[in-house]
Amino acid sequence: TDAKRSNVAAPPQSALATARIISDINAVAYPEGVSSPRPELNENAKEGKFRYDREFLLQFMSICKEKPAMLPPLDAIGLEPVDQSSLGLTR
Amino acid sequence: QEVDMQAQAEGIRTVFSDPTNFNVKHPLYSPWTLWFDSPATKGRNLPQTPVSAFPQTPIPQTPGVAAAQGWMEDIKRVISFDSVEEFWGLYNNIIPPSQLPQKANYYLFKEGIIPAWEDEANKNGGKWSIQLPKDKNRAHVDKMWLYTMLAAIGETFDPAPTQGGGGNAVSLITGVIVSTRPQFYRLSIWTRLAPNTNDDDAALRSRIEGVGKHFKINVLGYSESQRLAGPLATEVEFLSHKDSEKKGKSARKIIA
Repeated sequence: TDAKRSNVAAPPQSALATARIISDINAVAYPEGVSSPRPELNENAKEGKFRYDREFLLQFMSICKEKPAMLPPLDAIGLEPVDQSSLGLTR
Repeated sequence: QEVDMQAQAEGIRTVFSDPTNFNVKHPLYSPWTLWFDSPATKGRNLPQTPVSAFPQTPIPQTPGVAAAQGWMEDIKRVISFDSVEEFWGLYNNIIPPSQLPQKANYYLFKEGIIPAWEDEANKNGGKWSIQLPKDKNRAHVDKMWLYTMLAAIGETFDPAPTQGGGGNAVSLITGVIVSTRPQFYRLSIWTRLAPNTNDDDAALRSRIEGVGKHFKINVLGYSESQRLAGPLATEVEFLSHKDSEKKGKSARKIIA
Protein backbone atom coordinates (compact mmCIF):
# COMPACT_ATOMS: atom_id res chain seq x y z
CA THR A 1 0.00 0.00 0.00
CA ASP A 2 3.00 2.29 0.36
CA ALA A 3 3.90 1.98 -3.29
CA LYS A 4 4.71 5.62 -3.80
CA ARG A 5 6.11 6.92 -0.59
CA SER A 6 7.63 10.25 -1.48
CA ASN A 7 10.09 12.43 0.37
CA VAL A 8 7.28 14.77 1.28
CA ALA A 9 5.72 13.77 4.57
CA ALA A 10 2.06 12.90 4.45
CA PRO A 11 -0.26 15.50 5.95
CA PRO A 12 0.32 15.05 9.68
CA GLN A 13 -3.34 14.52 10.51
CA SER A 14 -3.74 11.63 8.09
CA ALA A 15 -3.02 8.86 10.57
CA LEU A 16 -5.40 10.30 13.14
CA ALA A 17 -8.08 10.87 10.52
CA THR A 18 -7.89 7.39 9.07
CA ALA A 19 -7.04 5.32 12.14
CA ARG A 20 -9.86 3.02 13.14
CA ILE A 21 -11.26 2.65 16.60
CA ILE A 22 -9.85 -0.20 18.66
CA SER A 23 -12.69 -2.64 19.15
CA ASP A 24 -11.08 -5.06 21.60
CA ILE A 25 -8.76 -3.33 24.02
CA ASN A 26 -7.49 -6.66 25.34
CA ALA A 27 -6.27 -7.67 21.88
CA VAL A 28 -3.81 -4.80 21.66
CA ALA A 29 -0.19 -5.66 22.24
CA TYR A 30 1.89 -2.65 23.28
CA PRO A 31 5.62 -2.33 22.70
CA GLU A 32 7.93 -3.23 25.53
CA GLY A 33 7.96 -0.54 28.17
CA VAL A 34 4.41 0.63 27.43
CA SER A 35 1.78 -0.50 29.92
CA SER A 36 -1.71 -1.67 28.96
CA PRO A 37 -4.71 -0.11 30.66
CA ARG A 38 -5.41 -1.74 34.02
CA PRO A 39 -7.38 -4.85 33.01
CA GLU A 40 -9.98 -4.58 35.78
CA LEU A 41 -11.24 -1.34 34.24
CA ASN A 42 -12.41 -3.13 31.11
CA GLU A 43 -13.50 -6.52 32.38
CA ASN A 44 -16.97 -6.33 30.88
CA ALA A 45 -16.31 -3.59 28.40
CA LYS A 46 -18.67 -3.15 25.51
CA GLU A 47 -17.12 -2.50 22.15
CA GLY A 48 -15.50 0.92 22.08
CA LYS A 49 -16.53 1.74 25.68
CA PHE A 50 -13.22 1.58 27.46
CA ARG A 51 -11.93 3.07 30.70
CA TYR A 52 -8.32 4.08 31.09
CA ASP A 53 -6.20 4.72 34.17
CA ARG A 54 -4.06 7.82 34.45
CA GLU A 55 -0.73 6.04 34.13
CA PHE A 56 -1.85 4.52 30.85
CA LEU A 57 -3.11 7.85 29.50
CA LEU A 58 0.01 9.78 30.50
CA GLN A 59 2.09 7.61 28.19
CA PHE A 60 0.57 9.42 25.18
CA MET A 61 1.51 12.90 26.36
CA SER A 62 4.91 13.13 24.71
CA ILE A 63 3.81 11.35 21.53
CA CYS A 64 0.50 12.92 20.49
CA LYS A 65 1.45 16.54 19.88
CA GLU A 66 -0.30 17.16 16.63
CA LYS A 67 -2.50 20.25 16.66
CA PRO A 68 -6.10 19.18 16.00
CA ALA A 69 -7.30 20.18 12.53
CA MET A 70 -10.56 21.42 14.04
CA LEU A 71 -8.97 23.64 16.69
CA PRO A 72 -9.98 27.25 15.99
CA PRO A 73 -7.33 29.97 16.24
CA LEU A 74 -7.16 30.50 19.99
CA ASP A 75 -7.07 34.27 19.82
CA ALA A 76 -10.29 34.21 17.77
CA ILE A 77 -12.15 32.82 20.78
CA GLY A 78 -10.41 35.05 23.29
CA LEU A 79 -8.16 32.25 24.49
CA GLU A 80 -4.86 34.01 24.90
CA PRO A 81 -2.24 33.46 27.58
CA VAL A 82 -1.78 36.30 30.01
CA ASP A 83 1.49 38.12 29.97
CA GLN A 84 3.53 36.06 32.41
CA SER A 85 5.51 39.09 33.54
CA SER A 86 2.30 40.66 34.79
CA LEU A 87 1.96 37.81 37.27
CA GLY A 88 4.99 39.10 39.05
CA LEU A 89 6.77 35.79 38.74
CA THR A 90 10.43 35.86 39.43
CA ARG A 91 12.33 33.01 37.90
CA GLN B 1 -13.73 -15.15 16.47
CA GLU B 2 -10.36 -16.20 17.77
CA VAL B 3 -8.96 -15.84 14.29
CA ASP B 4 -10.42 -12.34 14.03
CA MET B 5 -8.81 -11.33 17.28
CA GLN B 6 -5.49 -12.68 16.19
CA ALA B 7 -5.71 -11.01 12.80
CA GLN B 8 -6.58 -7.76 14.49
CA ALA B 9 -3.71 -8.08 16.93
CA GLU B 10 -1.27 -8.62 14.10
CA GLY B 11 -2.50 -5.74 11.96
CA ILE B 12 -2.66 -3.23 14.76
CA ARG B 13 -0.26 -0.31 14.86
CA THR B 14 -0.79 1.98 17.81
CA VAL B 15 0.75 5.39 18.16
CA PHE B 16 3.36 3.73 20.37
CA SER B 17 4.63 1.41 17.68
CA ASP B 18 4.31 3.96 14.87
CA PRO B 19 3.75 7.60 15.88
CA THR B 20 3.19 8.80 12.31
CA ASN B 21 1.50 5.86 10.60
CA PHE B 22 -0.56 4.29 13.35
CA ASN B 23 -3.77 2.69 12.14
CA VAL B 24 -5.78 2.38 15.35
CA LYS B 25 -6.75 4.90 18.01
CA HIS B 26 -8.07 4.50 21.54
CA PRO B 27 -11.75 5.43 21.75
CA LEU B 28 -12.94 7.26 24.84
CA TYR B 29 -15.88 5.94 26.87
CA SER B 30 -17.74 9.07 25.77
CA PRO B 31 -16.98 11.86 23.30
CA TRP B 32 -16.16 15.17 25.02
CA THR B 33 -16.45 18.87 24.20
CA LEU B 34 -14.20 21.60 25.59
CA TRP B 35 -15.77 25.02 26.20
CA PHE B 36 -14.11 28.23 27.32
CA ASP B 37 -15.06 31.64 28.56
CA SER B 38 -13.26 34.67 29.92
CA PRO B 39 -13.92 38.41 30.11
CA ALA B 40 -12.53 38.54 26.57
CA THR B 41 -15.33 36.30 25.24
CA LYS B 42 -18.10 38.24 26.96
CA GLY B 43 -20.31 40.99 25.59
CA ARG B 44 -18.22 41.50 22.55
CA ASN B 45 -18.52 40.20 19.04
CA LEU B 46 -15.53 38.12 18.35
CA PRO B 47 -14.23 37.81 14.83
CA GLN B 48 -16.18 35.21 12.93
CA THR B 49 -14.38 31.95 12.56
CA PRO B 50 -15.17 29.92 9.47
CA VAL B 51 -17.95 27.47 10.27
CA SER B 52 -15.86 24.69 8.84
CA ALA B 53 -13.15 25.33 11.41
CA PHE B 54 -15.35 26.13 14.38
CA PRO B 55 -18.66 24.36 14.92
CA GLN B 56 -21.25 26.79 16.16
CA THR B 57 -22.54 26.59 19.68
CA PRO B 58 -25.57 24.34 19.38
CA ILE B 59 -28.99 25.82 19.99
CA PRO B 60 -30.36 24.41 23.23
CA GLN B 61 -32.86 21.65 22.51
CA THR B 62 -35.25 21.60 25.44
CA PRO B 63 -37.40 24.28 27.08
CA GLY B 64 -35.49 24.09 30.35
CA VAL B 65 -32.30 24.69 28.51
CA ALA B 66 -33.62 27.82 26.85
CA ALA B 67 -33.12 29.54 30.19
CA ALA B 68 -29.45 28.75 29.91
CA GLN B 69 -29.17 30.45 26.58
CA GLY B 70 -28.02 33.76 27.99
CA TRP B 71 -25.48 31.96 30.14
CA MET B 72 -24.23 30.00 27.16
CA GLU B 73 -23.96 33.02 24.86
CA ASP B 74 -20.55 33.95 26.21
CA ILE B 75 -19.22 30.42 26.45
CA LYS B 76 -17.29 29.39 23.39
CA ARG B 77 -17.16 25.86 22.15
CA VAL B 78 -13.52 25.05 21.48
CA ILE B 79 -13.52 21.50 20.10
CA SER B 80 -14.90 17.99 20.46
CA PHE B 81 -12.88 14.79 20.54
CA ASP B 82 -13.48 11.10 21.08
CA SER B 83 -10.09 9.42 21.32
CA VAL B 84 -7.13 9.44 23.67
CA GLU B 85 -4.85 10.50 20.82
CA GLU B 86 -7.04 13.52 19.97
CA PHE B 87 -7.23 14.56 23.62
CA TRP B 88 -3.45 14.84 23.84
CA GLY B 89 -3.23 16.71 20.53
CA LEU B 90 -5.57 19.27 22.06
CA TYR B 91 -3.82 19.31 25.43
CA ASN B 92 -0.45 19.92 23.82
CA ASN B 93 -1.76 22.88 21.80
CA ILE B 94 -3.83 24.79 24.31
CA ILE B 95 -3.16 27.05 27.26
CA PRO B 96 -2.94 25.55 30.76
CA PRO B 97 -5.03 27.09 33.58
CA SER B 98 -2.01 28.83 35.14
CA GLN B 99 -1.71 30.97 32.00
CA LEU B 100 -5.38 31.81 31.62
CA PRO B 101 -6.54 35.35 32.36
CA GLN B 102 -8.51 36.02 35.52
CA LYS B 103 -12.18 35.05 35.56
CA ALA B 104 -11.72 32.43 32.87
CA ASN B 105 -13.16 28.93 32.82
CA TYR B 106 -12.56 25.71 30.94
CA TYR B 107 -15.56 23.41 30.82
CA LEU B 108 -14.92 19.86 29.64
CA PHE B 109 -18.31 18.15 29.23
CA LYS B 110 -19.60 15.05 27.57
CA GLU B 111 -20.71 15.80 24.06
CA GLY B 112 -24.36 16.83 23.95
CA ILE B 113 -24.36 18.17 27.53
CA ILE B 114 -23.97 21.92 27.87
CA PRO B 115 -22.16 23.25 30.95
CA ALA B 116 -25.27 24.69 32.54
CA TRP B 117 -27.52 23.58 35.42
CA GLU B 118 -30.48 23.67 33.08
CA ASP B 119 -29.27 20.86 30.86
CA GLU B 120 -31.35 17.71 31.26
CA ALA B 121 -28.23 15.79 32.29
CA ASN B 122 -27.32 18.33 34.99
CA LYS B 123 -30.60 19.58 36.38
CA ASN B 124 -30.92 16.82 39.00
CA GLY B 125 -27.21 16.76 39.74
CA GLY B 126 -24.59 18.55 41.74
CA LYS B 127 -20.90 19.13 41.94
CA TRP B 128 -17.81 18.25 43.89
CA SER B 129 -15.55 21.26 44.07
CA ILE B 130 -12.48 22.62 45.75
CA GLN B 131 -11.23 26.17 45.94
CA LEU B 132 -7.48 26.69 46.13
CA PRO B 133 -5.62 29.93 46.97
CA LYS B 134 -3.87 31.10 43.85
CA ASP B 135 -0.51 32.08 45.26
CA LYS B 136 0.11 28.68 46.86
CA ASN B 137 -1.22 26.63 43.97
CA ARG B 138 -0.05 28.33 40.79
CA ALA B 139 2.58 25.63 40.42
CA HIS B 140 0.11 22.78 41.03
CA VAL B 141 -3.07 23.81 39.27
CA ASP B 142 -2.03 22.66 35.79
CA LYS B 143 -1.29 19.15 37.02
CA MET B 144 -4.46 19.07 39.11
CA TRP B 145 -6.54 20.07 36.08
CA LEU B 146 -4.76 17.55 33.85
CA TYR B 147 -5.38 14.75 36.34
CA THR B 148 -8.99 15.86 36.70
CA MET B 149 -9.47 15.70 32.93
CA LEU B 150 -7.75 12.31 32.73
CA ALA B 151 -10.01 10.84 35.41
CA ALA B 152 -13.00 12.24 33.51
CA ILE B 153 -12.12 11.04 30.02
CA GLY B 154 -10.67 7.77 31.36
CA GLU B 155 -13.97 7.35 33.23
CA THR B 156 -12.34 6.45 36.54
CA PHE B 157 -14.13 8.93 38.83
CA ASP B 158 -17.17 6.72 39.03
CA PRO B 159 -16.10 3.23 40.03
CA ALA B 160 -19.24 1.76 38.52
CA PRO B 161 -20.23 3.70 35.42
CA THR B 162 -21.99 0.71 33.93
CA GLN B 163 -23.58 -0.53 37.12
CA GLY B 164 -27.15 -0.29 38.24
CA GLY B 165 -29.96 -0.88 35.79
CA GLY B 166 -28.94 -2.78 32.71
CA GLY B 167 -27.98 -1.41 29.36
CA ASN B 168 -28.96 2.21 29.80
CA ALA B 169 -26.99 2.75 32.99
CA VAL B 170 -24.77 5.76 32.60
CA SER B 171 -21.81 7.29 34.33
CA LEU B 172 -22.48 9.85 37.05
CA ILE B 173 -20.03 12.34 35.61
CA THR B 174 -21.26 14.97 33.15
CA GLY B 175 -18.29 17.32 33.10
CA VAL B 176 -15.36 18.98 34.85
CA ILE B 177 -14.50 22.67 35.20
CA VAL B 178 -11.47 24.75 36.12
CA SER B 179 -12.01 28.39 37.02
CA THR B 180 -9.45 31.14 37.53
CA ARG B 181 -10.33 34.02 39.84
CA PRO B 182 -8.20 36.90 41.09
CA GLN B 183 -7.40 35.15 44.38
CA PHE B 184 -8.08 31.48 43.79
CA TYR B 185 -8.63 28.55 41.45
CA ARG B 186 -11.64 26.28 41.58
CA LEU B 187 -11.90 22.74 40.25
CA SER B 188 -15.31 21.10 39.92
CA ILE B 189 -16.74 17.74 38.93
CA TRP B 190 -20.38 17.77 37.87
CA THR B 191 -22.56 14.77 38.50
CA ARG B 192 -25.79 13.68 36.85
CA LEU B 193 -27.51 12.98 40.16
CA ALA B 194 -27.35 14.28 43.71
CA PRO B 195 -28.49 12.32 46.76
CA ASN B 196 -31.44 13.42 48.85
CA THR B 197 -31.03 13.49 52.58
CA ASN B 198 -33.43 10.62 53.12
CA ASP B 199 -32.13 7.11 53.50
CA ASP B 200 -33.56 5.92 50.19
CA ASP B 201 -30.56 7.48 48.56
CA ALA B 202 -27.91 5.66 50.59
CA ALA B 203 -26.57 3.82 47.55
CA LEU B 204 -26.34 6.96 45.46
CA ARG B 205 -24.84 8.87 48.35
CA SER B 206 -22.08 6.35 48.75
CA ARG B 207 -21.43 6.36 45.00
CA ILE B 208 -21.21 10.17 45.04
CA GLU B 209 -18.91 10.01 48.07
CA GLY B 210 -16.71 7.59 46.17
CA VAL B 211 -16.30 10.18 43.42
CA GLY B 212 -15.34 12.81 46.00
CA LYS B 213 -12.79 10.56 47.69
CA HIS B 214 -11.24 9.60 44.37
CA PHE B 215 -11.03 13.29 43.48
CA LYS B 216 -9.43 14.29 46.77
CA ILE B 217 -6.99 11.41 47.19
CA ASN B 218 -6.11 10.02 43.76
CA VAL B 219 -6.57 13.08 41.58
CA LEU B 220 -5.60 15.99 43.82
CA GLY B 221 -3.13 13.97 45.87
CA TYR B 222 -4.33 14.83 49.39
CA SER B 223 -4.53 12.29 52.15
CA GLU B 224 -7.96 11.11 53.23
CA SER B 225 -7.87 12.83 56.61
CA GLN B 226 -6.24 16.05 55.43
CA ARG B 227 -8.25 19.19 56.19
CA LEU B 228 -8.02 21.78 53.46
CA ALA B 229 -10.25 24.69 54.41
CA GLY B 230 -8.53 27.99 55.18
CA PRO B 231 -8.26 31.52 53.89
CA LEU B 232 -9.53 31.39 50.28
CA ALA B 233 -9.54 27.58 50.47
CA THR B 234 -12.35 25.07 50.88
CA GLU B 235 -12.59 21.39 51.59
CA VAL B 236 -13.46 19.06 48.74
CA GLU B 237 -17.21 19.49 49.05
CA PHE B 238 -20.36 18.43 47.31
CA LEU B 239 -23.43 20.55 46.77
CA SER B 240 -26.47 19.79 44.63
CA HIS B 241 -27.24 22.39 41.96
CA LYS B 242 -30.64 22.90 43.59
CA ASP B 243 -28.95 23.80 46.87
CA SER B 244 -26.47 26.03 45.06
CA GLU B 245 -29.40 28.01 43.67
CA LYS B 246 -30.68 28.65 47.16
CA LYS B 247 -27.48 30.54 47.87
CA GLY B 248 -26.36 29.78 51.37
CA LYS B 249 -29.80 28.90 52.63
CA SER B 250 -29.38 25.68 54.58
CA ALA B 251 -27.01 24.22 52.05
CA ARG B 252 -26.34 20.57 52.79
CA LYS B 253 -22.78 19.94 51.87
CA ILE B 254 -21.00 16.62 51.84
CA ILE B 255 -17.32 16.87 52.73
CA ALA B 256 -14.85 14.38 51.27
